[in-house]
Amino acid sequence: MQKARYDTDIVRSFVNWSIVWGLVAVLVGVIVSFQMVNPSLNFPPYFTFGRLRPIHTNAGIYGWGVGVIFATFLYMVQRLCRTPLWSPKLARFQLWFFNATIIASAVTLLLGYTTSKEYHEMEWPIDIMVVVLWVAFAVNVIMTIIKRKEERMYISLWYMMASLIGVAILYVVNAAEVPVSLFKSYSAYAGTNDANVEWWFGHNAVAMALTAPPLAMFYYFLPKTTRVPIYSHRLSIISFWSLIFMYLWTGAHHLLWTPVPDWIQTLAMAFSLMLIAPSWGSVFNGYLSMNGQWHQMRDNYLVKFLIVGITFYGLQTLQGPMQAIRTFSAFIHYTDWIPAHIHMGTMGWVSMIAFASIYYLVPRIYGRQLYSIPLANLQFWLILIGQLMWSISLWIAGVLQAGMWTAMNPDGSLTYTFMETMVEMYPYWWIRAAGGLVYLAGIIVFIYNLVMTVRRGENATVATVAAEGRA
Amino acid sequence: MWEKKPILFMLLATGAILVGTLITMVLPFAWVNTEADRIETVTPYTALQQEGRDIYIREGCNNCHTQTVRPLVAEVLRYGDYSKSGEFVYDRPFLWGSKRTGPDLARIGGKYPDEWHYKHMASPRSMVPRTNMPAYAWLADNKLDPQMIRRKMDVLGFPYTEEEINALADKTEMDAIIAYMQKLGTGIPWHEAAATTIVGELKNPYTGVDHATMEPWEKLYEANCAACHGEHEEGDIGPELDGSAYEENELFEIIYKGVPENGMPAFSSLGSDKVWKLVNFIKYYTQGEDH
Amino acid sequence: MDLASILYLGVTFGLFVIFALIVLRTYSKKRRKDGEIAKYRMLEDDDD
Repeated sequence: MQKARYDTDIVRSFVNWSIVWGLVAVLVGVIVSFQMVNPSLNFPPYFTFGRLRPIHTNAGIYGWGVGVIFATFLYMVQRLCRTPLWSPKLARFQLWFFNATIIASAVTLLLGYTTSKEYHEMEWPIDIMVVVLWVAFAVNVIMTIIKRKEERMYISLWYMMASLIGVAILYVVNAAEVPVSLFKSYSAYAGTNDANVEWWFGHNAVAMALTAPPLAMFYYFLPKTTRVPIYSHRLSIISFWSLIFMYLWTGAHHLLWTPVPDWIQTLAMAFSLMLIAPSWGSVFNGYLSMNGQWHQMRDNYLVKFLIVGITFYGLQTLQGPMQAIRTFSAFIHYTDWIPAHIHMGTMGWVSMIAFASIYYLVPRIYGRQLYSIPLANLQFWLILIGQLMWSISLWIAGVLQAGMWTAMNPDGSLTYTFMETMVEMYPYWWIRAAGGLVYLAGIIVFIYNLVMTVRRGENATVATVAAEGRA
Repeated sequence: MWEKKPILFMLLATGAILVGTLITMVLPFAWVNTEADRIETVTPYTALQQEGRDIYIREGCNNCHTQTVRPLVAEVLRYGDYSKSGEFVYDRPFLWGSKRTGPDLARIGGKYPDEWHYKHMASPRSMVPRTNMPAYAWLADNKLDPQMIRRKMDVLGFPYTEEEINALADKTEMDAIIAYMQKLGTGIPWHEAAATTIVGELKNPYTGVDHATMEPWEKLYEANCAACHGEHEEGDIGPELDGSAYEENELFEIIYKGVPENGMPAFSSLGSDKVWKLVNFIKYYTQGEDH
Repeated sequence: MDLASILYLGVTFGLFVIFALIVLRTYSKKRRKDGEIAKYRMLEDDDD
């Protein structure tokens, strides 16, 4: 009778809606990638690259990313605390308000109402909506934790709580702006200060929304899937404190060589390098948990998503610090290498973990066997190949571009004009767009598989679902 | 301890988050944008420029163009003097960007004549073949609304006269965004300070080459000169070209250093070899001479 | 050494000490079992 106590309806809704917004994010991403190779695909005033790109990024972060956070946190917190959700009503409101916020964001961005600050483009009324939304969510999760029946808190809860606090602080501080009208405001900070605040926000949004939550999911769904505990809870704790402490110093690595004071840049560079330790603490913890279980990479499709996901996290957290070194930043910053880096994180790490989490959840929250494991495997390969095409093509392009930008003649003058460097990018931008299409195909397979699971999947008891996961 | 106490845990986590925040984000306010950063010649945006800046933001130009030149040799050669903190004190928000799909615009002001921008914004590929910049011809159809600028002025604390505000009524969004671009990077007299000096003796390395050798150089002309001087040197934004009117060295200096007062940009970023090729192409190829 | 240097070294050293204490506490022999208990809980079935 325990089952009836947990609120699964809300988890279902958030799973469904996060997938809808995820599809939108990828679809818009594919559109803008084709606009980059063919400018005649810009349809002004609304459908231009400049207006669509923020819709792509924000749908990805706030629609897909945060949607999955809502779904998984609400699922995990009830079970980790062995207690039902504090307020199912508040969670219903949160669902409704979440969709209202995402729709309002998409519409206003399309209309050109933007603050221009990356990953925070939405204008002030929507900032207020985001804050209300997050507070409603945080209160519900925290109250559930407070009235928990399981005294000892598992590491996933630690990451969840840090995320709740971190996102709130970051978003509110960076949202400080003075309204001019309903849809126009000016930042409260100017110039160099504004830049420093924005990238303190921008980089730590990655920490608090796109690192801590997927780690919470990873630490929860990996042992649930493999049926063996994680290697070391104490290692995860050391990694946790180091990660949340060090991340906040690193924002200015986005601003190396700019007018931001030099010492801030140096601190950012040093802390970025030190961050390799806690990041790889989690990666090792994941790998060592697989000790004696590596056969599950073959037998259990969920393990494949999770372990490849954490591997991309490991690569991401090596490449990131490398880019944070002044000399390499001088060469590579502002080139196409950078979006390739970001997309390894989002398409490889965060989304891999999100797909695994949803594959784990759907059979359980709907009480159905997964429709097709072969299709899940097909999706795995499509998104993996799509992402590799995406990132590898642009890494090559970025190095080429950087080399041409800095190339000099024997007399000390520049070798290439800007346009000579840009036209070299087209072939790589085509491969990237094709990679995006492959990834999109993976998402469509994913959605088809889930729809068929809900519609046609065989009724399953809890035990059979669990067994099937390992089949 | 904190493993079992969520409130205490969250307080400690907040503390951990705030240390780096205070030191690298809050503390810098004590040094940045203070008197020490001030540059006398940097002025607020005019009403028209501010409107242009808001259109730049609305259209998301910052998604493809950065506005900060780093103190790196190749960058300073390509774009101009590196950016100083004091140049951005009136920028709310900052628009430094993070990706250069198109070139940096921190020093675009005064680089090209207005007319170049009008044509380029309306039809980028007519001026720069193969660019992927979207066309913004439609900005010329939108009139500005002078009422809005009053409220913006209050928020930003910029002093606009009634006359300046009313003058906006006759302007389009295209006028505004170009006025904004022409202001960028002109707050300090970097152009005068960094005027290209040609080191060493000027000597045409291609003296005596034949017509066939010069033929491929037409591509250089098309990519860099034709937008303003016409496909056949007949003139358009810039004057008709008559190579015979100048000595080789004069022509080299005009192209390499530009003639800012006449709107001719400096093409030193092409490097001396390409500039010499253009000199020979303009002076001899069109005349059909094998010199 | 001026005040700024002392402050700088003090803060850095203080942060290091806090980190060392967390590591020592987490890995102390006394707490060995205590520190790993939470992970075994993940093997119990919840509602599923």
